[in-house]
Amino acid sequence: MSDRPLPPSDPGLPPLLGCESCGLVSVDALAGHPDRGRLVQKCSRCGHVLHDRKPMSVQRTWAFVVAAAVLYVPANVLPIMTTVQTLKREEHTLIGGILQLWADGSWGLSVIVFIASIAVPVLKIGVLGLLAWTSRHAPAWRRLERAKLYRLIEAVGHWSMLDVYVVVILAATIRFGPLAGVQVGPGLLAFAAVVVLTLFATYAFDPKLIWDDGDPARADGTTASIATEPRHAGRRA
Amino acid sequence: MPDDEPDPAQPPAAPGAAAPEPPRPAPAGAEELPQPKIVEGRRWNVSLVWLLPALAVAIGASLLVRSVFLIGPRIDIEFASADGIEAGKTEVRYKEVVIGKVESLSLRDDLNGVVVGVRLDRPAARFAVQDTTFWVVRPRIGLAGVTGLGTLLSGAYIGTDAGVSTKARAEFKGLEAPPFVLRGEPGKIFVLRSFDLGSLDVGSPVFYRRTKVGRVVGYTLDAERDELSVRVFIEAPYQRLVSEDTRFWNASGIDLKVNASGLTLNTQTIASVLAGGIAFENSSGPRRPAPENAVFTLFADRSAAMAPPDGLPVRIRMVFDSSVRGLAEGAAIDLFGVEIGKVTSIALQYDAAKKRFPIEVFADIFPQRLGPVRNALLQASPTPAAGDVAVLQQLVAHGVRAQLRTGNLLTSQLYVALDVLGKEPGRSAVLSDGVLTVPTARGTLSEIQPQIAEIVEKVSKIPFEEIGKDLRSTLAGANAAIGRLTPEAQKALAEVQKTLARAQASLDNLDRNVTDPGAPVQQNMQETLLELQRTARALRVLADYLQQHPESILRGKPADAPIPQR
Repeated sequence: MSDRPLPPSDPGLPPLLGCESCGLVSVDALAGHPDRGRLVQKCSRCGHVLHDRKPMSVQRTWAFVVAAAVLYVPANVLPIMTTVQTLKREEHTLIGGILQLWADGSWGLSVIVFIASIAVPVLKIGVLGLLAWTSRHAPAWRRLERAKLYRLIEAVGHWSMLDVYVVVILAATIRFGPLAGVQVGPGLLAFAAVVVLTLFATYAFDPKLIWDDGDPARADGTTASIATEPRHAGRRA
Repeated sequence: MPDDEPDPAQPPAAPGAAAPEPPRPAPAGAEELPQPKIVEGRRWNVSLVWLLPALAVAIGASLLVRSVFLIGPRIDIEFASADGIEAGKTEVRYKEVVIGKVESLSLRDDLNGVVVGVRLDRPAARFAVQDTTFWVVRPRIGLAGVTGLGTLLSGAYIGTDAGVSTKARAEFKGLEAPPFVLRGEPGKIFVLRSFDLGSLDVGSPVFYRRTKVGRVVGYTLDAERDELSVRVFIEAPYQRLVSEDTRFWNASGIDLKVNASGLTLNTQTIASVLAGGIAFENSSGPRRPAPENAVFTLFADRSAAMAPPDGLPVRIRMVFDSSVRGLAEGAAIDLFGVEIGKVTSIALQYDAAKKRFPIEVFADIFPQRLGPVRNALLQASPTPAAGDVAVLQQLVAHGVRAQLRTGNLLTSQLYVALDVLGKEPGRSAVLSDGVLTVPTARGTLSEIQPQIAEIVEKVSKIPFEEIGKDLRSTLAGANAAIGRLTPEAQKALAEVQKTLARAQASLDNLDRNVTDPGAPVQQNMQETLLELQRTARALRVLADYLQQHPESILRGKPADAPIPQR
């Protein structure tokens, strides 16, 4: 299953590019061209940039994943919220809040917050890292499962913003002067950045790469697809 | 949109001028597919997105550096109990500013207390020095006020007072109560020694002229000296009011006294009546401010405090033969009306030789209260080395004796008066075991009592019954004797009658001879009187002449003046 062969491409057709904006299918005029990385093809009808894979997809994914992973540390260490009650000031971190919920007996809520705040971001960072790595180094490994994982993190990604929304709404609504108040902590900023960065990473990753043969040129979208050309040519031949 | 469907017949976009190189012709079989436009793209091979992780690393690193710089030293504080302290929550505050947080709570190895691990903030690292103190702030509600009210809602926190030492320290022993006074608070601490705390407590006010100028900040019971050390803090600028001879007294509650002087009632403010307090006052005269931690005596009341300085007492012993009912411990000893001491103990003794129960009264005499008398007696003393004992010995030698007197007729309280009463010489004050025995005299009342008793006894010894019997028999004898004598008496009466008749006759005779006008006695008397009359007249003439011619006494009567010649 992991090494399911690529579907055979039609030998009679030249390499084609679909416009992501208007759907017009064009001929890949630069297929095998040495300056492919420098030149950009645009849709003849709507002018949208055409590319067979998202440009620099793996690289960008890595960048976002690394940034998200780095910011994940302050997101967990720094307080995401400071509650101010009369004469009492308390800072809450992500983990601290979850543990407190658990200790207070709200196990369900604790699990939900844990999934939304800890599990999902970690999962996304891990899965995106895995996808980016395998697309280059283990292209043939469990393609279908990888595709399913990608769809999963794409679907679940937004829900991590739950925490951010909760804290922001609390901070906006609970304002009773000296009696009670909620202040946003720096950890929340980092956490929001983590969520947004993982969303960007998900967006930056091109799931089509899962089905490629680990071709660095396609994955990066930089160098000319010289390597692909012979393959196509050979296949055509 | 169908309208925008490009005409397939239309040649694909010209291989624009932008393209430096004409694209290769499309592979065979693709002629009918549209050709894309080819434009110059970016030259960068590396995505700018990489700036993002760089930024993230920079942010993370800055946070890390900041937190490393914010994290201060960790210290351990020992407390007896962790009541109200929570790991991760309880704060350490200095002047209500958070300077750290409790990180961990653990029991001591010997289970005899808890060790609170505290992470100080970086700027508060200077608190981890030798003489910093820590204590747990909990709500304390007392009559003198409420403190730590905030902790009712926020929970306990650890209070601290910054040390000034430069020596670092990581392990502290926490105080169980807030310290006496915070460092740097303007004012002075004084120590008051007392035998009784009364209703004083930490926080009790200290008054000067009924104005609050300080507070009790702590007290310790010195088990060795069996004495209380009460520490009071007098706030600036009032600490200058405390001089070396300032007197402090316990102004707690109501001071109601019934003693030989009558009834005395003293109070301070209502707050101090309820919560206790200390008051102080200065004696008049020049004042030198007392130094910090100066030790004073805390007197029981104002009168004790304001009494002249007593100095060391001399213990005296007095033995009374009469009852001492009404004499209480603390009763005054006065010398000619000046109170110079007080009774300390009263004990009943047994004198086996005399078979009596003398009462032994011990008292403290403060010779300094004698003032100039003491100095004079000291100078006159033959044994100056004996000091105050010699003073008292001299007083006794002058005839001073102890006597019980009634101080208050209503309450019949007694006091001991020292007065010059002794007539008998040879009694002197004997010193033994440091106690001076002062001879006593019977009290005024107790002196009269035995005398009356003696009289009554003597009166009761008179045999009134026998006297009565004798009297009666005497009378009976007299009666009988009179009865026997009657016939002789009648005879005697007849004799008396005869005698009287004779006396009557004699008197008649006398009357005839003397009082009758024709009696010769009467005649002679008349003549004599006439003669006396003439004599008196002649004397008068002589006197008149002498008055006119006094010289005639010497010269004689002058010759009659010659008859004038015609």
